Amino acid sequence: MSVLDVPRPRINCSMLSQHINRAVCFLGRVEKVHPTGKSFTVVDGEGKTATVELNEPLEEELSGIVEVVGMVSNKGAIMAATYNLLREDKGASFDLELYNEAVTVIHDFPQHYPFQVAASG
Amino acid sequence: MKLTEGAIAALSNGNGGNDPVLQLVNIRKIEGGNGPARFRVMMSDGQHTLSSFMLSTQLNYLAEESKLAPNCICILKKHVTNILKDGRRVVIILEVDVIKSAQDVQGRIGDPTPYSDGQNKVQQSAPVPASRPPLQPQNGNEAVNRGFNRDVGKKAPPLAMPSTPGGGSKVVPIASLNPYQSKWTIRARVTNKSSIRTWSNSRGDGKLFSMELVDESGEIRVTGFNQEVDKFFSLIEVGKVYYVTKGSLKIANKQYTSVKNDYEMTLNGETSIIPCEDSCDVPMVQCDFVSIGDLENRDKDAIVDVIGVCKTVDEVTRLTTKSNREVSKRTLGLMDMSGKVVSVTLWGEEAEKFDGSGQPIIAIKAAKLSDFGGRSLSASFSSTLMINPDIPEAYKLRGWYDKEGHAMDGMSLTELKGGSGGGNTNWKALADVKNEHLGHGDKADYFTCIATIVYLRKENCLYQACPSQDCNKKVVDQQNGMFRCEKCDKEFPNFKYRLILSANIADYGDNQWVTCFQESAEAILGQNAAYLGQLKDSNEVAFDEVFQQANFNTFVFRNRVKLETYNDESRIKATVLDVKPVDHKDYSKRLIMSIRKMAAQ
Repeated sequence: MSVLDVPRPRINCSMLSQHINRAVCFLGRVEKVHPTGKSFTVVDGEGKTATVELNEPLEEELSGIVEVVGMVSNKGAIMAATYNLLREDKGASFDLELYNEAVTVIHDFPQHYPFQVAASG
Repeated sequence: MKLTEGAIAALSNGNGGNDPVLQLVNIRKIEGGNGPARFRVMMSDGQHTLSSFMLSTQLNYLAEESKLAPNCICILKKHVTNILKDGRRVVIILEVDVIKSAQDVQGRIGDPTPYSDGQNKVQQSAPVPASRPPLQPQNGNEAVNRGFNRDVGKKAPPLAMPSTPGGGSKVVPIASLNPYQSKWTIRARVTNKSSIRTWSNSRGDGKLFSMELVDESGEIRVTGFNQEVDKFFSLIEVGKVYYVTKGSLKIANKQYTSVKNDYEMTLNGETSIIPCEDSCDVPMVQCDFVSIGDLENRDKDAIVDVIGVCKTVDEVTRLTTKSNREVSKRTLGLMDMSGKVVSVTLWGEEAEKFDGSGQPIIAIKAAKLSDFGGRSLSASFSSTLMINPDIPEAYKLRGWYDKEGHAMDGMSLTELKGGSGGGNTNWKALADVKNEHLGHGDKADYFTCIATIVYLRKENCLYQACPSQDCNKKVVDQQNGMFRCEKCDKEFPNFKYRLILSANIADYGDNQWVTCFQESAEAILGQNAAYLGQLKDSNEVAFDEVFQQANFNTFVFRNRVKLETYNDESRIKATVLDVKPVDHKDYSKRLIMSIRKMAAQ
């Protein structure tokens, strides 16, 4: 079961513990890349830090806003399946706090923002 | 007949009882000099007597018709106890019912003794006017004391006061001034001083200046002519407190002023104005603030006092008036706790010197309300602008703004042309147009929405307009190579293409047909009218392509809606005033705020 086949809710650090062993989408600003390149830390809109672990070491230096899709491990780290950097050179700057507020809203009103597998024809 | 024993003691101590039954022992007329007579009354409750009752002048007829006569029994229905500067108390009788007339009563009930509240100022003899300090008039049941409600906008009719003997060095409230009493002194702050104005007519020349004085009880307009201008104009400084005495009072000419007082004062040869050192408890200003949200309910041209947070402020601009005078102008957005924002225009030096940084609290006295853009305010020459005034309303606003107000967008009462004055927008969803019956009122309604274009009518979107600079009237094709403009009354060999684009826009809830004129149409289509006109005539495919590309784009639309009636049929007409790309951050913030607000309800 690929992480990419299931719905993955957007979360921030404070929600990691509720999503252990589940697929999530985590968005934050890259803080520090481990010297081995196999993991890096990200800061979310609330200023909290999470660790992202990769299957293969990074080939380039990572910085800026990154969106990671992966599973949350028992230890609360995100085992990344994919990640993508948001371009900061184009368009309006990304407002991480505003994003965090939106994520909070999504989780405060699950009845309006349900996470379901889309029924396919 | 049972009298209410203990009532005299209670009244003397300022604790008015409930409708005490008293016996009138004595009533004495005191000539009022310039004004109506006053009646001094001695009352008994069977236990004590008290001679410091005064009949309010509206009840003089009771004494004159001998309804109130020694020995009659009455119920004191309404009264006010005033404490004089020397500690003595005077009970003003405002309403009294005679329940047993004097002739029906045998004599004095009980054996009352004069009540003394420790002051030993028992007066049985006729009071000599010279020894009686002035009584203060009342606003209904309110005792006039210091520490008055600062927002007193209502003015009670002043009751005639007994003459203040001996030069009247006791200070009386402005609210008590009237033409019938001449010996008074007020202690007031100057809130506004005009410049010296001169005139010259067949009867001669003259000069005058005017000012407004304020104290805890109210305000009054004061004018000085000729010699008084020389005597007082330079002495008086706005914001300072003065003792003023011996001015002439007359009925106010409300045409020239919005000051809330039935009377106004004129300085004369006997007037004296002396600076007062101890001024801290005289209020700075007398304002009757109207909530910004209420301005919609006021008539245009009304004069109002407002107070609010200066949410936005524009750069100062200069414009030339019809009389070719150059004048400076600046607009600011004022918001209060009603959540509504109104545009305020400042002029001249006030506009130039204004510093709106830091969102100051702005109070304006006597601002002029206009229906420009819906509702807007102007600080005219007779308005007083105060920045961060030292009044409780200002502190309340500051506290509210710091806690919640700063996060609010505020709904603007003023529709500004060409781009909002920084965040004053009335956001609506398209369904609201029908649900809230926008445009159904006397005036058009303005709102802003985010919507997607779902249809553009490309047929007849272009018309041939007069090529003159400021004329956009449709020209008539004379079929001879000439085009006639009826408005300019001229013929031209050419025309300019202009756009009137009919579009349907939609959001999650509803759709709306709107008309877009030149600027907004060009913004939506991404091409100018001239080019489109050319395309239409030469390359239809390319012309169609423009419309294809423009379809399904989302914008921020600012619209004007009005109900219009054609031959018994009423329809809402919506016009697009401005089109802007969506600011997603702004939109997200608003959505989150709406969600949170809805959740809290």
